Amino acid sequence: MEATAIHALLQSRFGDAVLDYVDGFEKGSLVAPGRVGEIAAFLRDDPALGFESLMCLTGLDWDGYDATGKGKSVDILGYDELGRPEASDRVGDGDLGVAYALYSPRHGHKHALYVRVPRAAPEVASTAGVWPTAAWHEREAWDLVGIRFAGHPDLKRILLDEAWEGHPLRKDYVMPGAWQGVPLDGRDYAACKWDESGVTLPDDVKRQDAATGPETGNQG
Amino acid sequence: MTQDRQDYVESTTPPAGYDPRREQCLDFHVEEDLAAMAGSDDKNFILTKVDTLFDWARLSSVWPVTFGLACCAIEMMAASATRYDIDRFGAGAFRATPRQADLMIVSGTVTAKMATRLKRIYDQMPEPKWVVAMGSCAIGGGPYFKYGYHVVKGVDFIVPVDVYIPGCPPRPEVLLDGLMRLQDKIRGRRGGSKPPKWVLDYAAKIPYVKR
Amino acid sequence: MSETATGRGWAAQDVRRELHSELLEINMGPQHPATHGVLRLLVRTDGEIVHGVTAHIGYLHRCAEKIAEGCDWRQWMVYTDRFDYLAPINMNFGYAVAVERMLGVQVPERAEHIRVICAELQRIASHLIAIGTFGLDMGAWTPLLYCFREREEILNILERLSGGRMLYNYFDIGGLRFDAYDGFERDVLAFVNIMEQKIPEYDTLLSYNKIFIERTADVGVIDLATCLAYGCTGPVLRGAGVPFDCRKDDPYSIYDRFEFDIPYGEGEQGTVGDCWDRYMVRMREMYESCRIIRQAVDALPGGPVKAEDLKKLVKVPQGSLYTRTESSKGEIGFHIFADGGSKPFRTKVRSPSFSNLHVIEKVGPGMMLSDLVATVGSLDIVLGEIDR
Repeated sequence: MEATAIHALLQSRFGDAVLDYVDGFEKGSLVAPGRVGEIAAFLRDDPALGFESLMCLTGLDWDGYDATGKGKSVDILGYDELGRPEASDRVGDGDLGVAYALYSPRHGHKHALYVRVPRAAPEVASTAGVWPTAAWHEREAWDLVGIRFAGHPDLKRILLDEAWEGHPLRKDYVMPGAWQGVPLDGRDYAACKWDESGVTLPDDVKRQDAATGPETGNQG
Repeated sequence: MTQDRQDYVESTTPPAGYDPRREQCLDFHVEEDLAAMAGSDDKNFILTKVDTLFDWARLSSVWPVTFGLACCAIEMMAASATRYDIDRFGAGAFRATPRQADLMIVSGTVTAKMATRLKRIYDQMPEPKWVVAMGSCAIGGGPYFKYGYHVVKGVDFIVPVDVYIPGCPPRPEVLLDGLMRLQDKIRGRRGGSKPPKWVLDYAAKIPYVKR
Repeated sequence: MSETATGRGWAAQDVRRELHSELLEINMGPQHPATHGVLRLLVRTDGEIVHGVTAHIGYLHRCAEKIAEGCDWRQWMVYTDRFDYLAPINMNFGYAVAVERMLGVQVPERAEHIRVICAELQRIASHLIAIGTFGLDMGAWTPLLYCFREREEILNILERLSGGRMLYNYFDIGGLRFDAYDGFERDVLAFVNIMEQKIPEYDTLLSYNKIFIERTADVGVIDLATCLAYGCTGPVLRGAGVPFDCRKDDPYSIYDRFEFDIPYGEGEQGTVGDCWDRYMVRMREMYESCRIIRQAVDALPGGPVKAEDLKKLVKVPQGSLYTRTESSKGEIGFHIFADGGSKPFRTKVRSPSFSNLHVIEKVGPGMMLSDLVATVGSLDIVLGEIDR
């Protein structure tokens, strides 16, 4: 079935919950975040559609996206060449989004679902009850982008630790200097002095080393 | 009797409870034996220190802990497999537990989540222990330096490192070379202490020991 | 003396209640020889019986998707190598196909053929590791040594081709970095000739070994419905009895020109979808890869290996596209969002091992602890692509 026909079918069934048809490479429908769950269930169970396979679920941050197609989107922050986190006073805005890539093994057709949610209250209905594989993908989207999935059986971080702060794939994410005593920034090797006895580390590096605990060196 | 011992007897009053007969009990006539051996034609003996002997034993059987983190772990496996055979250097016994190991090959990217576990595994290893940082990631973050919010920029922030092996990933030959550099390090580790004078004197008489 | 203490019939009683025993939580990993990397499985057991499995991943999360947003389209090829470090060429292939589809670039014929040859060689190398380490998990050390022997031959060819021994960065957007060396076809054919003779050796060593069959047949059965629901692909899905393969069912590159079969599990030694079926799918796929390589070498044309109308700094038109290709582990997908610039706006990697590992939480409960090791081994996961 063509993507336009699938979109028309969804529109006739769900009315204003199906917002817009998305043209382009990956054709699909833009739907309301609160009703993704029931739309997903319909897509899977309808015999003419039969989308039993969720290929991919992507969470993304539309902050600073250049909609004109010139490629002038905002640059992300990283570490500088000495390994210090780059800072910026820019405040992130723009929506967050989720994209579902669906495939029907029975009919061999594809369709995509797109969702946009406001940054202040990013909540999307969970599809983990429809496609169990979505459970981990949604946990990943919560972990890295910070989108809440209502009705998810066990929504917690998956890749990062539960105590991690922030959601790294947001465009305004500032790189951490350390996490629970583990240093994540770099070392200024130019400030390290090298002589015959070995490397002398500058004071701030020594402090970092002390933070990771006492060194039990090779004195044995 | 060497000069040193005469000095000791003459210049120091014996401590309370000192029994001169004890010294006789402890005299195994080692010096005479050594002199006889050095003068004889049988050259099949080695004069060494116990420390050197222990170090030689240690460097000949470095047991690494099975600590594969990422891509480099596959090259570590390749080094222990058919073609490269790390067992030739005595380091083929990969132990599943850190309690039986004395070398940790940090083979791969150390992440923030793994760093605490790595530190714990290192602490569980008995002394003496050594760490090899294998690959660019373990040395300094490697290609994950610029945007790696979850990557530790060098494992030497977490544990002291003895040998760094660059490469992404290093070839097994380079790992073997790094292992040999570690063995060099173990061999020369106790260079600070000097043997007693009488040992040096006897060593000087032996023609094929270079001082 | 009670009946229990004399030993008669105590097995019939609820020993757990009498002994006030409770479930034991065991951590497998993150540093564990049988988890193929830094996977941590939290296993709740009652003696030897597994009651629940929770997989904790992320110990190798290397921020590759964030890095994608900071570097340009060609540069990110390096990082795709490091997802599945056992099959880096297949990762390169997936990313290259994804970007080329968005660009609408026609890849030269010679490049396409060399790509297919490399990808199939890499698939064999990856399956060799999967088989070797699976044998290792089952307590057989010897097959690993044989598998590494053949893998080194593949690495030799690919190293001579690309310069890298393990991570190649050989594919480029719009073709290859450089042309193949003289005598590439001869080396590949020589290897394929040897490989086809070696596979029966593995069969005698491992596949039809009585102990191996006892350990793997009827163990860790993953049926088709579970596979579909949990998004399992690759040998796990084919082991469940479905001949689904992106190379045939969602063709990319020039795979539609070659004749090859898709092996699938038939429950030869037990139930359809058990560990032995998944293992055997990999074994038979190596034959099919050899077939594809022969055809590709025969049809290898001359000509350029790079698309000519491509600039150094690629700019991908605005839009999003999900592209999937068949890696040795399963379906590797790249969902790419482009803003028309020289950097990806967002790149999501749908890695096969991620979904394949998820299913362990479903099938794990109820099996013996040693069977859990067998099942994880038969899934053939690579933590580099799970955590990315």
